[in-house]
Amino acid sequence: MTNIAQARIKREFKEVVKSDEVAACNITLELVDDKYNELIGKIAGPPDTPYAEGTFCLEIRIPETYPFNPPIVKFLTKIWHPNISSVTGAICLDILKDQWAAAMTLRTVLLSLQALLAAAEPDDPQDAVVAQQYKENYSIFEKTAKHWTAVYAGGPKSCPELDSKITSLKNMGFDENQARAALSSKGWDIERATEYLIN
Amino acid sequence: MDDDEDEFDTSYYYDNNDDLDLEKPKKSDDPEYFEYELLKIEDVERMLNEEVEALCTSLKIAPSLAKMLLHAHGWRRSQIIERHQMNAEKFLVESRIVADKKNISQVQFIFSYGGGDRPGCFLLQEVITGTTHTCSICVRELSKSEFQSLSCHHIFCNECWDMHFGIQISKGLTTGIECMGSDCKLLVPEDFICSILKDPSSREKYFKFSFSDLIDSHSQLRFCPGPNCSIVVRAKEPKSKRVECKSCKSTFCFRCGIDYHAPTDCDTIKKWLMKCADDSETANYISANTKDCPKCHVCIEKNGGCNHMQCSKCKSDFCWMCLGEWKTHGSEYYECSRFKENPNIANESVHVQAREALKKYLFYYERWENHAKSLTLEEQTLKNITTRIEEKVMNNEGTWIAWQYLLKAADLLKKCRYSLQYTYPYAYYLDRGGRKELFEYQQAQLEAEVENLSWKVERAEISDTGELENLMDIAEKRRLTLLKDFLEV
Repeated sequence: MTNIAQARIKREFKEVVKSDEVAACNITLELVDDKYNELIGKIAGPPDTPYAEGTFCLEIRIPETYPFNPPIVKFLTKIWHPNISSVTGAICLDILKDQWAAAMTLRTVLLSLQALLAAAEPDDPQDAVVAQQYKENYSIFEKTAKHWTAVYAGGPKSCPELDSKITSLKNMGFDENQARAALSSKGWDIERATEYLIN
Repeated sequence: MDDDEDEFDTSYYYDNNDDLDLEKPKKSDDPEYFEYELLKIEDVERMLNEEVEALCTSLKIAPSLAKMLLHAHGWRRSQIIERHQMNAEKFLVESRIVADKKNISQVQFIFSYGGGDRPGCFLLQEVITGTTHTCSICVRELSKSEFQSLSCHHIFCNECWDMHFGIQISKGLTTGIECMGSDCKLLVPEDFICSILKDPSSREKYFKFSFSDLIDSHSQLRFCPGPNCSIVVRAKEPKSKRVECKSCKSTFCFRCGIDYHAPTDCDTIKKWLMKCADDSETANYISANTKDCPKCHVCIEKNGGCNHMQCSKCKSDFCWMCLGEWKTHGSEYYECSRFKENPNIANESVHVQAREALKKYLFYYERWENHAKSLTLEEQTLKNITTRIEEKVMNNEGTWIAWQYLLKAADLLKKCRYSLQYTYPYAYYLDRGGRKELFEYQQAQLEAEVENLSWKVERAEISDTGELENLMDIAEKRRLTLLKDFLEV
């Protein structure tokens, strides 16, 4: 790791820890070890969104060439969002790709991700299935995203009807997470989800 | 004012690739006629520099800014001058060359551009107060002489700029390198980069890549796509016409740079090639080189370009494409190139429609692929002809000179086949109607003539000169008629 990258991360880490957002419990940043090349970020789901009251963990890896190249970030917490892969947690966000500028910081990244949760861009999707649902049937999308927030991000319990559908698939012998993913992508239609799981 | 015209001397040449004894088509008659010149890198550099200088003089701005403006606006000098005269500041801001004053926080900013030894760049004596400053990138506190910024006043130390340029260049970026500030889209001028960038190999890359960026942005110029060829083609009008590079012998379309594709246009051929790449697995089975004789079922390998096949065993004549009798392929009846669409298709089920669509695609693909293959097989034909000529001359059947007409015929055959190959993507995307009927009629005529010529070329005797020249004349006329009627200009 170059000196520049390490010096920058040290300072940015201080910046985040001292920031107002931390005080308001909106974002946090933790070092994985003392090498400053791996961090865990946490962001609070923005209020008035399906992600409200959830806490989302992020894996942040710092490349050798940081800050001239962007940090490599993905969601560790499973999330239902058009610009985030529901399978891998990979993120589609311009500032993590070609719109990165060396003057940006981890704090900017965390705040941008929080903003992304509040304002999805379904026309530039990472997860095509989620994006399609977002555009074609927003109420099902909202219900699904809330449910995922409740299950994986510690959000408030939402729709018991969805839980019972998952239970019925579980009783058929399917894995719970797989059942949830199948139901979510098939608009909570048990028959189509079963068909999808079998094939 | 515009001296482009004068630079375009009459040094164009029209390379017909063959010196047929046919009457050479006149400028206005030949649909493939195109004026262009081949330039060496030094010539292009000189030409671009002249354009840059001309803009510097008209606008009174520094060369590096003039270059950025020309690159950003496709080298349309008169348009640039006009917009600059209308509102210079707005134009430069929109071109991402100077920062928008609204976005600059520092108070001591003095708006100026051009002039000075480093236009668009500011030594920050007025901006940094005190003798040292902390770089926001590398977090080091350095003397203020170590810092520079562009007109946006995003101040960074020279070492960080250097790192930034090196990394951007390694990603292939040159003319598009932006300032390091958050959300700052200001482009970094060449002289700013050159004054900072230290690593010699990065500098070399920068000059190489930015030069090719400039050429790409110039509608009158195109790099020859030939491997390791450094020739640049210049044509006054960016049309999709055939260009041949004298240096590496590649021929290509001036407008899109891929293989010449008349009568199909650039967008259609791109669509077609993409479709072929996508559907290649479906179409692959066609690529087999053998078919069975329709009469005696002996396995036959196609080893020449001609589609008129004669089974070596049962001597029946048949068409390689449709496996029908060759007798029905006279010029009046030649229908092998025409796809017969199901007229009732709209009322059929989705399933049948899908099958029909695939059938249609495979029909055209098969013919496209067949001509492409025939073209490579013509190379073999050419070799055979050369050996045959040698044998004939040894047996005192005509002189070597007298036999040369056969090579010319083979050359013309190649040219016709090439055009024919590119008629199939065109026909595939053509909507049903009178125009398609006319196109397919002319295509069929050309197909028939090409096969006649092909058959004759493989078997010609010295006494056939007259007949063969007649066939050549007809084939080339059919080809030019088709191109003239359907080549978009």
